Amino acid sequence: METSKALSPITRVTKYTLIDEVQQRSFVVMFVTCAICVFLVRGCYQGNYMVNGQSLDAATIVRTLSKATFHVIGAGVMVITALLSMRIFRRDRNEGMQACILSKPIARWQYVTGKILGLWALSVLFMFTLHGIVFFITSINLKVFMPGYLVASILCSINLLFVIIAVLLLSLLMSDIVAFLCLLAVGAIGFVADGIAAASHSQIAQAILQQPGAQPHSDVTWWKAVYFCWPKLLGVQQLASSLIESGSSHELGSIYPFINVLFYCLILGALLFKRFRSEDIV
Amino acid sequence: MIKLKNVTKLYDSLTAVDDVSFSVTPGEYFALLGPNGAGKTTIVKMLLDFTRPSSGSLSLSGISSLQAECRKSVGYLAENHHIPASLSGWHYLLRCAELLDMDRSEATDHCKRIVELIGMQGRENTKVGTYSKGMVQRFGLGAALMGNPKLLILDEPTSGLDPIGIREIRLLLESLKDQGMTIFLNSHLLSEVEKICDTAAIINRGKLLVKDTISAIVKDGETLEDVFVRLVKG
Repeated sequence: METSKALSPITRVTKYTLIDEVQQRSFVVMFVTCAICVFLVRGCYQGNYMVNGQSLDAATIVRTLSKATFHVIGAGVMVITALLSMRIFRRDRNEGMQACILSKPIARWQYVTGKILGLWALSVLFMFTLHGIVFFITSINLKVFMPGYLVASILCSINLLFVIIAVLLLSLLMSDIVAFLCLLAVGAIGFVADGIAAASHSQIAQAILQQPGAQPHSDVTWWKAVYFCWPKLLGVQQLASSLIESGSSHELGSIYPFINVLFYCLILGALLFKRFRSEDIV
Repeated sequence: MIKLKNVTKLYDSLTAVDDVSFSVTPGEYFALLGPNGAGKTTIVKMLLDFTRPSSGSLSLSGISSLQAECRKSVGYLAENHHIPASLSGWHYLLRCAELLDMDRSEATDHCKRIVELIGMQGRENTKVGTYSKGMVQRFGLGAALMGNPKLLILDEPTSGLDPIGIREIRLLLESLKDQGMTIFLNSHLLSEVEKICDTAAIINRGKLLVKDTISAIVKDGETLEDVFVRLVKG
């Protein structure tokens, strides 16, 4: 009974957040543009592709392109989610809804939880719809069935939760656009670091490092520690995309990116609730 | 109904409210008066937990203002009330009703009554973006009256209203008082306050100067405005 009493205001705030966002013209424009772009990618599946002089079969092309599209959609929806999240508190404040909601017997944690859930539900639906379009194009038009595609989309939703919580927290500490840019920087640094890490494991890099003149290096360096702790957004995408290939197995180490991002969600979530508790309502 | 005990609020080096204590009893029509920047809105915000006191305590119906539960039977109208422009007045009221945990049919019935009460029949379904300031204020008052609150906290309720609108709101508030509602009014309109309020408090630079019944504050041959000017100018 107590739990349902506490959940009721959260459900209402979640519902209003969803409705308000969907009614925004900018959201509709972004959604329609993204859906059209995903439909246009359809043409790429029917081309002839050559690798090292050998023609690729249709199924390989579809799988490879679908994985690439999966990553592009995942990254794109993260950016759109950050854009939607950065102005949510400001708009509520300016439109008087924050004062209206919090003058009712609704606690601040319930309001923030409702906002997070509303944005999360909306962005997950957004991404799932775009991934769903790719899934149906490949399944129906191209007869390549990838059951793991939609599961992978759901797994990626943890990234969206991270983006929402991080941007909401940052938007309380700095201007909205700076909060958005900070989040973008976190993603870009993670992407570049993952690229450098992947390159350092290549045969050429290994050969350079093992040359007689090369300086010996310790196994644990500060940048390795930073890289290990940095939010693994791309890692989660890679983990999710590995589910697209049926029959791929996962070791415990491969789920580290998921645990890493989940840990960040919990830490930043706690900071967000603490910060909003001391926020002055205008 | 309302109790403030040694409440102080500091904004960095500025003391917005300085060791203020007073109480408002159930059924009282109370006015908080003071010049701009005196700390009136800060007190209202602390009552609603929109901002936390630096020291001291506030309570509503015996429950600390820090607990959401204390706002169960409280209606609030902000100065320069805002409503999302994308909503109609009706949808705004419906939202406020649902936030009080009413189901859809109960909320609909309640909203119909409120629309009649604030005299906005026929305009409730148009978008808020087309409303005048006074109309927004009326819907704000309607939202504050949602759920039949026992305590109404009004921050400049007649802001933006024309003289006829001010009179209508005054009559409405008087009828609510007759029904036993406690009203906490934050206003600049001293003549209106003198006409309708039972008690008043005057604050200046965060300090409480006086809190008493209107008849005790206003001596023979004086108006509330005279007393106000005398106390504030020292």
